[in-house]
Amino acid sequence: MTVDAAENTSQDTRAPAGEGAAPVQSRNGKPILIEPDLDFIDALRKQGRESFEKCFQCGTCSATCALSPDRDPFPRKEMIWAGWGMKDRLLTDPDIWLCYQCHDCTTRCPRGARPGDVLAAIRQECVTQFSFPRFLGRWVNQPQYLPLMLAIPAVLLGLALALKGPLETALGMAPEAGERIVYSYSSVFPHWLLNIFFFTFSILVLLVAISGVVRFWRAMKSSAPQDQIERPARGLLASILTALKSIITHDDFAQCTKSRPRMWSHLSVFFGFAALTLVTLWVITAKHNPLVQDTFIYPFGFWNPWKLLANVGGIAVLGGCLLMIGDRVKEGDQPGANSYSDWTLIGTLMLVVLTGFFTEVLHYVRLEPHRHLAYFVHLMFVFTLLIYLPYSKFAHLIYRTTAIVFAEYIGRTARTQPTSAAETRSPQQEVESHAG
Amino acid sequence: MPDEVAGDRPRIRPALLAVILVLVVLCPLGYSIVRGVFTPGPEPGQVFLERPDPKHEACVRETEYMRYHHWELLRSVREEVVRYGVRGEVGLSRCRDCHTSRERFCNQCHDAVSLTPDCFDCHYYP
Repeated sequence: MTVDAAENTSQDTRAPAGEGAAPVQSRNGKPILIEPDLDFIDALRKQGRESFEKCFQCGTCSATCALSPDRDPFPRKEMIWAGWGMKDRLLTDPDIWLCYQCHDCTTRCPRGARPGDVLAAIRQECVTQFSFPRFLGRWVNQPQYLPLMLAIPAVLLGLALALKGPLETALGMAPEAGERIVYSYSSVFPHWLLNIFFFTFSILVLLVAISGVVRFWRAMKSSAPQDQIERPARGLLASILTALKSIITHDDFAQCTKSRPRMWSHLSVFFGFAALTLVTLWVITAKHNPLVQDTFIYPFGFWNPWKLLANVGGIAVLGGCLLMIGDRVKEGDQPGANSYSDWTLIGTLMLVVLTGFFTEVLHYVRLEPHRHLAYFVHLMFVFTLLIYLPYSKFAHLIYRTTAIVFAEYIGRTARTQPTSAAETRSPQQEVESHAG
Repeated sequence: MPDEVAGDRPRIRPALLAVILVLVVLCPLGYSIVRGVFTPGPEPGQVFLERPDPKHEACVRETEYMRYHHWELLRSVREEVVRYGVRGEVGLSRCRDCHTSRERFCNQCHDAVSLTPDCFDCHYYP
């Protein structure tokens, strides 16, 4: 089936297609060939998001959304694209990442088509599409692979520990025990081993993330309107700064009305995780840090400012996760039904923090072999969080940031949207243009 | 409609909170920078732990063992003395033959890890 959809009939340069049909041209000047991707529709169905089939394009969702720009608003067009299986349009669309799944649209949808949830499912497909290798994206987000996904980090970490002795001699690493490392874990988990292990995999994750960002950026660029690409709304650096500011202050997220608590729980987890990351970076770089080189003692004492920050950060992540779970349990299957990938991210974060606190308590009560076992489990979950970052829901860190920067760049966000009346189209016109 | 009322809430609140949280997260960094810049580095020859008096050649156990397990040793000695009346070679009084200062030796590590052993509630250590 081939359908040519006219989106912009003002500049006609192409010869008329078919027998006397109106000249058609898409926003980027290329004809639109609609080839429904049935596998993609199936993938959305598998995530329990078949509700897009109920959409009758009334436009209530786009009208109610506080974040949707005036021109080509979302999520209505995404709903019809999903129904038509227009995978390429959906996965290269920055708009799906401008949505914070606040369910203002889902609550008001007269057909129960759940636009917010459909966008969430499309985002997960987008992650799978751009993070190499793709099969990992599928595995991470399917429950039947959970045992395998947990076994991989456990085996890798266990292997690293099993090879500790041979590696020690091969690399000429001395068993670590400086007088500044007090009652440490390094007798079982030497720092050099953990650093090499985590550094190697961090680099791999970073490479996947960079390639994902580059491919995603190119894809968005190729499908965005050409005039916006040629004359960006602002410079790249300015876009990045604006995007970061909006992410840190949660100002877009704060526009939600129906599920406003989601913003608070995200804020809590966000800053808690930022605190934990900062402490981790401080600890692993201490050896090379001129500020603390001579006075660094590890593990930290309880009243050390860094330890306090780590504990407060851990509590913030835990509290935020509990809020999220409470929110989801309370909502039940109401707006914001949650998929497997939502739960795995919350679960992994909770397990990281809980095992971390458990290890800390065992350390304080000086339970000798036990604290090492707890630490192993903790490291395993930290590693799980790290290696699946580009594939799990955690990948929103990469792709949402990229999409927001892109949206700022081409002037796509509600903030940067030019309010020119000529460019504003009524929903009626939209429907006509989509119907071809 | 209740939704609209919620939407009219002042938008500044999360942003303001975010700024405060950023500052909180950066607190230890500021502390470390100020400390690192204003604390003079160790003088040449200054060591973290006081070196033992050379009049004894070796400790009762290896240094590695002592570093991580001296408290287990002391506790087992305590058990032997208090419960079974066995007074062996090892005792707290012998420690200070070499490690003369509690401030410059024991407390260095104990303070660093926020550890307050109750040994010295009863026992005097110079």
